[in-house]
Amino acid sequence: MKITGEVVRVLPDDTNTDEIISGKYKYDELDLNKLARHTFESIESGFFDECRKLQAPILVAAANFGCGSSREQAPQVLRACGISCIIAESFARIFYRNGFNIGLPLIECEGISSHVSQGNRLIIDFNAGLIRNMTRQEEYRFKPIPTFMQELLQKAGLMQYLEAHGGYTD
Amino acid sequence: MKTLSEKILSTRSGADVRSGDIIAVPVDLVFAHDGTLPLAIQQLGGHSVKHPERVAAICDHASPSPSEKVSNVQTLMRRFARENGIDFYENGDGICHQIVLEKYAAPYKIIIGGDSHTCTHGALGAFATGMGSTDVAAILAYGNTWLKVPETIRVELSGGLCDKVHSKDVFLELLSRITADGATYKALEFSGDGIEEMTVESRATMANMAIEAGAKVGMFATDEKAKAYLEHYGRGSEFAPLSADDDATYIREVRIEAETVVPMIAKPHKVDNVVPVTDLEGKELDQVCIGSCTNGRIEDLRVAARILKGSRSKVRLIVYPASRNVLLKAVREGIVETLLRAGAAVCPPGCGFCIGRTVALGDGEVSLSTQNRNFKGRMGNDKSFIYLASPSTAAASAITGTITDPRNLSD
Repeated sequence: MKITGEVVRVLPDDTNTDEIISGKYKYDELDLNKLARHTFESIESGFFDECRKLQAPILVAAANFGCGSSREQAPQVLRACGISCIIAESFARIFYRNGFNIGLPLIECEGISSHVSQGNRLIIDFNAGLIRNMTRQEEYRFKPIPTFMQELLQKAGLMQYLEAHGGYTD
Repeated sequence: MKTLSEKILSTRSGADVRSGDIIAVPVDLVFAHDGTLPLAIQQLGGHSVKHPERVAAICDHASPSPSEKVSNVQTLMRRFARENGIDFYENGDGICHQIVLEKYAAPYKIIIGGDSHTCTHGALGAFATGMGSTDVAAILAYGNTWLKVPETIRVELSGGLCDKVHSKDVFLELLSRITADGATYKALEFSGDGIEEMTVESRATMANMAIEAGAKVGMFATDEKAKAYLEHYGRGSEFAPLSADDDATYIREVRIEAETVVPMIAKPHKVDNVVPVTDLEGKELDQVCIGSCTNGRIEDLRVAARILKGSRSKVRLIVYPASRNVLLKAVREGIVETLLRAGAAVCPPGCGFCIGRTVALGDGEVSLSTQNRNFKGRMGNDKSFIYLASPSTAAASAITGTITDPRNLSD
């Protein structure tokens, strides 16, 4: 599995799910495409529009990305914005789980937020555990994602994976 | 050689498990609320609910419903609960975690909630953790879930807390030491004579906040106090003794001397941005909030009422009791009258101010709250500021209208 895209933002430590999508919207709206227009609203405006202009925007972050509330709307709106992958130094655990459950690729890569800048073009090879920064001519390694989690991504989510397997197998 | 988490997960999975093992376990209770259940219902699609008797649905986040959009979402939940024979908790019944603590949580149970503060139920010896809506849907359909057995950080509290110092202050002190991702993927396990001295409600405050350090669960051994708590709610038969082995392995140990803990406060906009209250005394406030799944229990309201009795709040004072039971007790004990006479807006049990949907701040306003999170925009306005503290600090601060060390107020 490979993804080629452009870094749309490099975010700091502890970017939380309230910042990704405010609680004041999540009870009103089940249409994730409408909800996505409010992504990162408390930090900046126009994130959704900017992402939609790119072919496969990649979000990069420092440590503990997605901390705070378990709201699944957070990875959902990011995916609805068109984000193809999120690469962070580390993820909060509920967000990490949620990302895979909805088929949004998440990669933990040490030092990534200091290696890349907004606008860099990256090629991500999931099987090799390699990110190639085509803009800076650099490479970064990450721990390859376990096969069953790659399958979650390929099946585009947990429910689809469980349907295919008839449930959780030990 | 097992930690509390390893003991529970070994018993429930039927295998001898250790931290790092990935296991599938049955789920004794799965619950979600008006912020997370609707998305789970969507994800469930055409699947039926495998064990409806192990499910609860609660309207708490936007309760009472402030808009037609929210009401429509709650209608969806109500219909789903009715069609599937699921326990449903209406507007005004209370916050999901308080309802679960009163009616469902018990030692050795595996509890998954569509809410990050599900870790609260570790206070009664349950292995309880939060997950997203799709995981909730998968549990509704299949009845079980997969987990990685966590490593454990042991937090030992020794000695007794000083007057006007509470378990909230202990947790904020802990957070200042280990920070917001200090326990990511780990279990926090609380022990020591300082913990043994604490009531179940005080323990619940600490278990509730475990997620603010990134933890999976916040565990406590069970004892006579846990038994009495369960008996009080008619569930004494669900008690079981639970303790960690003396030779259990912990990846880190944090020791806190209870006598050295002082009233603490988390500054905007991060929960681990913690300082002693004395550093901020005199800072002007626009609003004080007492309640939430962290500190909205009867013990918290008693503490606040004791301080507020005979005084009048200088600022907007919003009180949200955590459940119908809590509010009933507060009425019977005269606490509601005390709070009303002090100028409080006593509101229907629910999340209220914490999530900014039925209560919101104005531009530039400063609020001091007993809740668990102070992220930017949390209380309904990105241009406002949230400080987190204990019920004593909150009550004292309401009287002066500024951030106040509760130890400085004469009784």
